[in-house]
Amino acid sequence: MNGFSNYLRMVWQVFRKDLQVEWRGRQGLPVMLIFALLVVFLFNFALQLTPGLQAGLAAGLLWVSLAFASTLGLNRSVSLEGENNALAGLLLAPVDRSAIFFGKTLSNLTFTFLVALVLLPVFSLFYQQNMLNPRLVLVILLGLGAYTSLGTLLAALSIQTRTRDVLLPVLLYPLALPVLIAAVEASRGVLAGQPLAELQSWLSLLIASNILFLAAGLLLFDTILEE
Amino acid sequence: MQYNDAMTDTENAPVPPAIEVRGLSKRYNLQPVLKDLSLALADGSLCVLVGSNGAGKTTLLRIIASLVRPDAGFAAINGAALKDNAALRRQIGYLGHQTLFYSDLNALENLTHYARLYGLDNVADRVHAGIASMDLVNHQHKPVRTYSRGMLQRLAIARALLHDPAILLLDEPYTGLDKEAAQALDLRLRGLHQPGRTLLIAAHHPQRLLAFASQVAWLRDGRIAQIQAVDRLSETPDLLHYLAEAA
Repeated sequence: MNGFSNYLRMVWQVFRKDLQVEWRGRQGLPVMLIFALLVVFLFNFALQLTPGLQAGLAAGLLWVSLAFASTLGLNRSVSLEGENNALAGLLLAPVDRSAIFFGKTLSNLTFTFLVALVLLPVFSLFYQQNMLNPRLVLVILLGLGAYTSLGTLLAALSIQTRTRDVLLPVLLYPLALPVLIAAVEASRGVLAGQPLAELQSWLSLLIASNILFLAAGLLLFDTILEE
Repeated sequence: MQYNDAMTDTENAPVPPAIEVRGLSKRYNLQPVLKDLSLALADGSLCVLVGSNGAGKTTLLRIIASLVRPDAGFAAINGAALKDNAALRRQIGYLGHQTLFYSDLNALENLTHYARLYGLDNVADRVHAGIASMDLVNHQHKPVRTYSRGMLQRLAIARALLHDPAILLLDEPYTGLDKEAAQALDLRLRGLHQPGRTLLIAAHHPQRLLAFASQVAWLRDGRIAQIQAVDRLSETPDLLHYLAEAA
């Protein structure tokens, strides 16, 4: 029990430290937010969509914005630990290193979710759909959970490389494709007013992805970080 | 009777070395850095690890700190293998070439973060004591990115000592320190050199450490070429010559 409470303490401390560094430096969240809003504006003005098309594309554009913003956040999360080799400080702690993975995933998820909460009213305005929908928020949480857990795992893989800024999206986007497709389809269904029961297959895929990537982090994170 | 025999056996059992590495090998990009290296340090030792640039001093310290996994070999603390033993890391304090700090956080916040990672009691008291011991109280609220190299090094030493570790691994601890700070570190290390604590200190210029170290280990070609008690250095003229040249 003591070991497990130490583990949870480590997860919480990694999460808390990331929030604290973000609060002091404000180098991650504002950039993610501005980038996501720019994507929304650019698509809106570049595509000149009719109201009918807007409804169909809103879910896809939402997830493109979130995926790009989240990748920026993941890169920032990696560079933060690379600076002064702070990651080694976490690795020295007397707790299983998968706790670092869960703490980092939690902070990456929190930052991206905050971006999503700002994006939803903006999307509602531009795409004339009510996106402030609790069922959509649930889909976003499931999708971002899978996306950020996979992203955190791959960010750790790229941390030792010189080309990490480029490597992360190159690795992440193809592997996250099933998650993004499921998230877009589930979001589209919710916006079209379909009940969650009809979206069960997409939601199951998102839940399974969450379990898979979290389990992969639990089992592989220590090995990935080793020199 | 059986109980008494068991007690006697326990009492007579050899005490394991505080730090033990056996048959360590490590390559980077196919270049061997450590080759079948073995070293054992008894509890209470203060061993200075010397060797030229690229000899593998940093790699050896990082392996013992569990930051690098060796390609082959074994590392243990007080007889317990380090591999897959996270709890054992609590006994280790490590100072490397980099400070391990978050630049946007101040000294208080950085040390508090480390104290919490180690699950220490009385976090605030320990952190304040650590900062005071390194004479950084007047700077404790400033982000560490504004610190000079010497200030960062002092804070990094405070971090390595924060959890009162039994094993201290210090890689070039005098880097960036001015004369006063170096003398203060001398005093601190002398105080730490006592039974129950073992220090392994990598130093390119080891002279000031020889005044209070118990042993010198010479790392050459990926192996410990010689290890000798400081008061018996005259018996190893090669090592003595190397130390004279390193001065």
